Amino acid sequence: MSDVDGRHLHAGTPVPDVDLETYRTLSLEDQAHEASKIDGVTITHRRDRFPVPGTKAEKRAERVVALCFVAAFVGALAFTVCYVVLPWRYDISSDSYAWFTPVLGLTMAISLFGFGLGAILWAKLLITEEESVQERHGGYSEQEDRETTAAIVSDGWDMTGIARRPLLQRVLGLSVLALGALAIVPLGGLIKKPKGELFRTGWAEGTRLMTGDRRLVRPGDIEAGGIETVFPATEEGLSMQVRADSVVLLIRLRPGQTVTPRPDQEDYGWQDYVAFSKICTHAGCPASLYEQQTGRLLCPCHQSQFDLLQDAKPVFGPAARPLPKLAITVDDEGYFVARRDFNEAIGPSFWERP
Amino acid sequence: MTDRPSTTKGRRPRTRLRRRVSGAIALALALGTVGVAYATVAAAATPKAQVASNAPSEDPVEIRKGRQLFEQGCITCHGRNLQGVQDRGPSLIGVGEAAVYFQVATGRMPVARQEAQVERKEPYYDEAETLQIAAYVQSVGGGAEIPTGNLRGSDENLAEGGELFRLNCASCHNFAGRGGALSAGKYAPPMDQANDLTIWTAMLTGPQNMPVFGDNQLTEEQKQAITNYVQTLKEQGDPGGAPIGRMGPVPEGLVAWVVGIGAIMLMILWIGAKS
Repeated sequence: MSDVDGRHLHAGTPVPDVDLETYRTLSLEDQAHEASKIDGVTITHRRDRFPVPGTKAEKRAERVVALCFVAAFVGALAFTVCYVVLPWRYDISSDSYAWFTPVLGLTMAISLFGFGLGAILWAKLLITEEESVQERHGGYSEQEDRETTAAIVSDGWDMTGIARRPLLQRVLGLSVLALGALAIVPLGGLIKKPKGELFRTGWAEGTRLMTGDRRLVRPGDIEAGGIETVFPATEEGLSMQVRADSVVLLIRLRPGQTVTPRPDQEDYGWQDYVAFSKICTHAGCPASLYEQQTGRLLCPCHQSQFDLLQDAKPVFGPAARPLPKLAITVDDEGYFVARRDFNEAIGPSFWERP
Repeated sequence: MTDRPSTTKGRRPRTRLRRRVSGAIALALALGTVGVAYATVAAAATPKAQVASNAPSEDPVEIRKGRQLFEQGCITCHGRNLQGVQDRGPSLIGVGEAAVYFQVATGRMPVARQEAQVERKEPYYDEAETLQIAAYVQSVGGGAEIPTGNLRGSDENLAEGGELFRLNCASCHNFAGRGGALSAGKYAPPMDQANDLTIWTAMLTGPQNMPVFGDNQLTEEQKQAITNYVQTLKEQGDPGGAPIGRMGPVPEGLVAWVVGIGAIMLMILWIGAKS
């Protein structure tokens, strides 16, 4: 209320029509009218929804609002009770626990909706209707304010005396530069040109093939038309931090299916077995949806399809290069081994890829 | 809210209240009935753990009956000696009784017409007839046998089953067994109708485009674990609320955006409307 007196606040904004003495004698409603005028707000329409107090319509509206708050109360109470009482522990033999989360959600929703609905209905049904208009005003400060503020800032700058202390100027400049470098230098760690690691995987001559549960693979393990995901049988072969690049899909073809090999890769397969990198050459997803009759390998991410019978040539979708093929054979003890590492980089393209 | 003269009809609010209450009760009753009915039907449709004891016999009588059925229903496409007919049906030599069981018990065979993928339908032959045909095919060509004994193992294997499922099956059949699309109209079917034996025989024989998972690759214990996992997954409740097809974030996001945001927009319109 004291703001009414402070006419110096915003020059140019509408000022109450009345002086403070008169203002204090006004009714609360008229006081509010006058007060909003300070902010340039004019109330253009105001009407009591229930001019005659205590009608049935008013009571009904009040009951509706009250009902919402009761619902909010009941919902909140039910939430607490359900949280304590309902079974929540995972139980394999029944799904009684399955109600826990939905019921909590439902009761909390009832409570929050009750409050929200009650507040909105209160405003819509009971509170006095009112429409106000506020005048727009320019966003800048007055000329006088701008000049005085500039004077204060300039004076402060002058008091530091930096303009006539070259030593401080230089030392400060230097330290600010060093601080900037401190922020930029760590970014250098992100700029790194890959050397050989993108062209190498965990496979080497004689590395055995191992399944995800650490079984070595022998030719009799897979039926015709079967597939197996294999990893290098080395210590870090299953480590997805180190050797996520080495995942290979070992496929045993059906009788009658043959793979036409690429030039110089005639010996990459072993009898009816072939092994391809499982990492899609488009975006690096695991391409492992294998159709054993058509010999197609699908990548689930962007629907690339590779025809394994044409040596994993991409026949559909965004992948542009065939899947790299791993040369395999069987060692003296009858286990599958890699003959050497892939002869090209696996996975998606990158700049340095030949 | 319009101001209605409250003197004209004194009893009106009460009857309206009564109408609302009775409406709410009717709605609750209807919803409850539907819910109970659904729960009953869903429970009845859920396959129970089964122990396969009805493997096809090597009884010559059964084999002869199977041969009769084969010659009536299968011979047109698979040939007199199971050798197959060009452009109609493949040879059945060596597919084994497990393949016959899977194809016939799921209604895929006899096939209605040639298309991208043979679909599951109501089985044409009953269980006994299916096993007779299986016995006949086995007696001629040999191959993968129908598994017997405990097909699920004990519940300790569930975690292992989940791991194996995600490694070997989930890429095509979806992490919740809902199936998914393959190339050119083919698809990996959802698993909600599969019983223990069809899951086993599917792994053993690799029907249509599914890869084969023989016993040297996935041991019997591992197949038990996978079967147990799949069947348990189907019976599990959905602790987060509505499953929305159990298809993951895409349909959930769709529902959240269309239904959720839609409701919020309507509510905003209502809040902002002049009363």
